[in-house]
Amino acid sequence: MHRNKRVESCIESNPPYALLRAGFPYIKTIGMIRTTPSPVDIAVLDKNNLFVLCRGRGVILNSVDDDYPLRRSPIGGNGDGDGQFVWPTTVILDQDQNIYVSDEALNRVTIFDREGNFKSKWGSKGDQEGKFNRLSGIAFDDDENIYTSDSLNHRVQKITKNGEFIAKWGGFGSKPGQFNMPWGIHVDYWGYVYVADWRNSRIQKFSGSGEFVFELTGSPNDKFNRPSGVAVDRHGDIYVADRENHCIKLFDKEGRYVEKFVGDATISKSGRTYLMSNPGPLRQRESTELEIQKRFRGPVSVRIDDNYNMYVPDYGSSRVQIYKKEAYPLSPDQIAPTQRSPRLYTM
Amino acid sequence: MEGEKALLAHLYRRAGFGSTIAELNFGAQKGYESVVDDLLNPERFPEVDDDLLGRYNLGLLMDSSISGESERWIYRMVNTKRPLQEKIALFWHHVFATAWYKTEQNPDIVRQICMFRESGLMSFKSILLKLSRDPAMLDWLDNQENHKGEPNENYARELLELFSMGVGNYSESDIKNAALAFSGWSFIQPIPGYPYGQYPSEFVYLDDDHDRSEKTFLGKVGKFDGEDIIDIIVKQPATARFISRHLYNFFVADESPVPTWGHIGPSNPRAIDELSHAYFEHNGDIRSILRVLFNSDFFKNSLFKRVKCPAELVAGTIKLAGTHNFPVPSLSKLPQVLTMMGQELLNPPTVEGWHTGREWIDGGTLTERIDFSIGEIADVSNPGIIEITSILNKELKSWTSEDLVDSCLDKVGSMEVSGQTRSALVRHVNRAWPGKDGIHRGRITELMVVELLKLIVSSREYQFA
Repeated sequence: MHRNKRVESCIESNPPYALLRAGFPYIKTIGMIRTTPSPVDIAVLDKNNLFVLCRGRGVILNSVDDDYPLRRSPIGGNGDGDGQFVWPTTVILDQDQNIYVSDEALNRVTIFDREGNFKSKWGSKGDQEGKFNRLSGIAFDDDENIYTSDSLNHRVQKITKNGEFIAKWGGFGSKPGQFNMPWGIHVDYWGYVYVADWRNSRIQKFSGSGEFVFELTGSPNDKFNRPSGVAVDRHGDIYVADRENHCIKLFDKEGRYVEKFVGDATISKSGRTYLMSNPGPLRQRESTELEIQKRFRGPVSVRIDDNYNMYVPDYGSSRVQIYKKEAYPLSPDQIAPTQRSPRLYTM
Repeated sequence: MEGEKALLAHLYRRAGFGSTIAELNFGAQKGYESVVDDLLNPERFPEVDDDLLGRYNLGLLMDSSISGESERWIYRMVNTKRPLQEKIALFWHHVFATAWYKTEQNPDIVRQICMFRESGLMSFKSILLKLSRDPAMLDWLDNQENHKGEPNENYARELLELFSMGVGNYSESDIKNAALAFSGWSFIQPIPGYPYGQYPSEFVYLDDDHDRSEKTFLGKVGKFDGEDIIDIIVKQPATARFISRHLYNFFVADESPVPTWGHIGPSNPRAIDELSHAYFEHNGDIRSILRVLFNSDFFKNSLFKRVKCPAELVAGTIKLAGTHNFPVPSLSKLPQVLTMMGQELLNPPTVEGWHTGREWIDGGTLTERIDFSIGEIADVSNPGIIEITSILNKELKSWTSEDLVDSCLDKVGSMEVSGQTRSALVRHVNRAWPGKDGIHRGRITELMVVELLKLIVSSREYQFA
């Protein structure tokens, strides 16, 4: 997902000093198994329209308000021809809202215009510079260069949007700056690069040129289990799709664990339409416990828009859950200095 | 030594899905009985790296796709370090055949196979108990419809007829009373699959729906419940013989189809006696019975006496080619390959399961078997081909056509072929690569190995395990 340049001009040179975190309520669920099957990623077109990348189907343009696919057919489809996908992994938009989709099986990025017409593709298999072995996550930086998770080469490559090699870092291993099958990747508003180092079960943060900054391994009592996606909002908060723990974990800009989201879904409009015309499933739902249906099942990615809406492609339940952050930036004069030690006196 | 290696290759084919050259060499160092012991204790070896497959087949995390689960199973058959665990799961899938097509409820079908994998070497009593509490089985044979005062006999009937004792060893009255004992054995209604996908169910015992009356079953009288019925079943000599015959049919040599067992006796009655004896000696412990089986003379004398089931043929050929040791998109095509050969995993045709032996083979399925096998080994860059070629060049500095044919057969699991087949293979080598005075000194190429292997896997003999 690419941020809007107009919004970008409002971004401070640094994230806020601190936040009053008022809440992060669940907003709504969209999609269902027939309209958004097996979603792996989302790109926000505007506040009412999402591109939802669905394994086995293609890119679905789905409205948020009406919860309805806005195109007759998905963008792309199954296969290895131009404009087709085998293992599509990530969808992002450039400033002109062209759609970029990475494919882990075909080692390529396919580009469509915003109407979904095939424009071009780049990428091929190899371990040389500019080639890929299981090209996975992709993310734009401010200059519209693309950072890629080159998964089985265990590295990050920086590529122009036309596919020309710029830089690389990494290599196989578990030390800082090394990777074991990286998956999702994200560039924050300040140019830092975050990589979901999948098989090392950690997130690594780097400068744009690849200098290691820090790593996240989960919360103190709940370590990551194969995290697959990462995103950062305008406050610098870091969101991690902790796939095999079936949750999204939230960290502040320093990497301090804040909270986790386990899913709170309600019935989407499309789901309700289906159920209201099918008495059998209605009765079965009336006959059983429903709590688990609220929960995430293997979320692959997480996306945050400029208005602090959080979108989670809930892969195992073929839907998108949407949440909205409520938080207020604090300046140093509004909050007490950092505490070196905890205190029991909190009144 | 050659005989020992041939025996090991036989063991790996039957207790697993064939062997790589490295596995065979490792086994030869350990010795036959030690390998049997390893096979029977799978926990000594690491699990298959399921995570890796789940990275690409994302639905595996939720057991949400039946074709995905078939892919996972084939991948496991090829890559496992615990081959008997997969083989015993396939064995129980044959015996307790439960098909997806009735409910299309993926997670419970998947869990049943996991249960077979995890429990398949336990005592027969434990396995029957787990089976009787398995939602996929309970739904498949309608036991959730087996209510107090309104019995449904379907599960009880098949439990006796197909799962434990066989026709002729119980009465109609025994079926009715067993059904009463299983009343109230049900499962929790899962959340429906639409609009957000399926969730697994769980076993539930409904006390209010259970018939507590006195029952007579196989001559015993009491207020039996399902567990009591299983306790009585597993003590019957007929059960010991029935399970022994299943084990013989699956691991040793082809028997007549199961429905004929009521009137056609076993092909090797002494072997069945030996296995039945082991059954009682070890309280129905499948691991112990299999130890007796794999170390028996009748097993060691049964080389190539079974037609490979499609899963064995496909997994074994993949191991030979050295492919699919890492997830690739083409893995998704393999379940359909098995289906075309007559074995749709997780979806057997009926509760009788698949008819095995020569019934696997007809004009259509034979074509599928040969086409797949040739296709799988045809690529000269396949790791298995490169490895075989390298070994052949070390072993054969100068060679005759007979040497090359015999060495290639040896690398295909010490394969035995008829004189006619061997002559045909030798003739082909003579024609394709004529040597000076019948002696070759040049390097054996990958292309030569592929050509010869294509003929070998097309042979009648390759269809046998």
